[in-house]
Amino acid sequence: MKGAELVIKSLEREGVEFIFGYPGGAIMPVYDALVDSTMKHVLVRHEQGAVLAADGYARSTGRVGVCMATSGPGATNLVTGIANAYLDSVPIVAITGQVPTSLMGTDAFQEVDIFGMTMPIVKHSFLVRRVEDIPSAIGEAFRIASEGRPGPVLVDLPKDITNAEASLAPVWQAPVEAPVQPDTVEVENAAELIRGAARPLLYAGGGIVIADAVEAFRTYAESSGIPVVATLKGLGAVSTRHENFIGMLGMHGNQGANKVVQNSDLLICVGARFDDRATGRLDGFAPRAKVVHLDADPAEISKLRHADAALLGDLSSSLNALAAPGDIAPWQTWCQDRRTEHAWRYDAPGDGVYVPDMLRKLTDAAENYVVTCDVGQHQMWVAQHCHFDRPDQHLTSAGLGTMGYGIPAGIGAKLAKPDATVITVTGDGSIMMNIQELATLKRYGIPLKILLVDNSSLGLVRQWQELFHQERYSEVDLSDNPDFVEVARSFGIPGFRIDRRDQVDDAIQRLLNADGPIIAHVCIDPKTNVWPLVPPGETNDVMLEEQTA
Amino acid sequence: MNHTMTLRMDRIEGAIIRTLGLIERRGFTVTGISTATGESEHQMEMTVELNAAGRSVEVLARQVARLFDVSSVSLAKQDAPAMRLEESLAC
Repeated sequence: MKGAELVIKSLEREGVEFIFGYPGGAIMPVYDALVDSTMKHVLVRHEQGAVLAADGYARSTGRVGVCMATSGPGATNLVTGIANAYLDSVPIVAITGQVPTSLMGTDAFQEVDIFGMTMPIVKHSFLVRRVEDIPSAIGEAFRIASEGRPGPVLVDLPKDITNAEASLAPVWQAPVEAPVQPDTVEVENAAELIRGAARPLLYAGGGIVIADAVEAFRTYAESSGIPVVATLKGLGAVSTRHENFIGMLGMHGNQGANKVVQNSDLLICVGARFDDRATGRLDGFAPRAKVVHLDADPAEISKLRHADAALLGDLSSSLNALAAPGDIAPWQTWCQDRRTEHAWRYDAPGDGVYVPDMLRKLTDAAENYVVTCDVGQHQMWVAQHCHFDRPDQHLTSAGLGTMGYGIPAGIGAKLAKPDATVITVTGDGSIMMNIQELATLKRYGIPLKILLVDNSSLGLVRQWQELFHQERYSEVDLSDNPDFVEVARSFGIPGFRIDRRDQVDDAIQRLLNADGPIIAHVCIDPKTNVWPLVPPGETNDVMLEEQTA
Repeated sequence: MNHTMTLRMDRIEGAIIRTLGLIERRGFTVTGISTATGESEHQMEMTVELNAAGRSVEVLARQVARLFDVSSVSLAKQDAPAMRLEESLAC
């Protein structure tokens, strides 16, 4: 059996359903073997689309997403998506072709050291130099990508290895490891802290859905009555409609959420990592709070904020081991008051489209939906105003902030969940980063619903230049954008444009009722800003509210 | 603050650069390295002298221990307790 066939057999053995990829010279033996496979290959139009679609598939299913590219530029085009998966802990296996081993190190055609290049952004990587090692490398890649704190794994396959014959097809058996249970001493330490706290708060992160611990989190949140705030990736850990959910914390979070964090005396951090966008200035973050940290990754404990108790290992087990708090009724009331005080308002003046209200109405009208989004102002509006009943309804590039994530992630999500309504919210800057994937939507008839918020500028950068750079606008004007409806039409995808508030309800219906892919092009005032905002370098006590001209 | 980190690791392509790269990327200065053959020809022991510029060397040790090529990490010498990052970053 040839090495390339071993690659395909190994992927089939892992139960791979979709491979997102793009062929080329060094990976050709594997594409040749793929012809005889039952796995479905999705031909994207740029390798970054492949890795981000694999990311969207992985986040939607909890299973490993697979992407494939050739050597050199094919491999380097995966790099941003690999970093995206690394920072958001997404299980990805990226398979790259490599020049033959005899040519490696000679600056051969389409040769780059992708193994060396990606070391800081992979959980692990393999450069396979013996055909017999292919099954174990791929088997281990899947195990490593998905176990504990997930992440991307690269498998680099030189062409002579995939062309080589293996005398015997080895079978690789994954070792079975029992989930790690939290340390009993730390459980007791945490219990003392929780019982002694007057103002405890649950700080929900993306690790909850990654660890499949949503139910355990909700059970504890319900039984304890401890109020909940969430990070960008933690949204939906409890329904965003739940009365105990105060809001998203951080730079563009809800002011009520930031107030309860800053006033808490115990943060129970579940699967979150004290990211700077969540904490603001670190030394002023929740200054009177002790910390109980629940995580799968030992390296996150006390990395940025000292943990007074650390529960490592399986998140559900750790959550099930948490003690009940004492009487926290006054604190619960105070948090509810902050929730009410800082509830979002939708009575913006004017007759232009008010995007926060449109997004709220969109998720009110949709059923069984997933929202993927790009990066920028619209991403923050999605986080603030869309409703999420579960975290895996919200796919966002949180850690890396990858413009161009939305459409490929939407492709992956829709293929993973064919019965779901998948909506991509994007911006006029972000959509241009991976607009070629409209061809992928058309080719496979993927009915993605794209809401393109167009402010003719790089809105979030423009906003920072307005507020923090004395209105010295530098390279943020996109007023010469193409006609996006015509662009969509040229890809064979229908589109329509709105720019008034009274068109919003019809637009939502048209978007949701479309059978195939569709784009709603929503034109808004370029001067629109996202509020509220913690200025960079400030603590979360300092939130700027909307400034009216 | 100077520390000595001793690692047992697989003698495998990329293992050394992956480990040293992580140490430097996480904000530490490598001031000395030595390697020796480990218990088998597939293993090696690497001793790294490093300077912790205000970051927690214990957190670094846990980050290094996550590497799949590394089987054990020990901090052989510590001049003084490491400062917490939140203290060092106060600004």
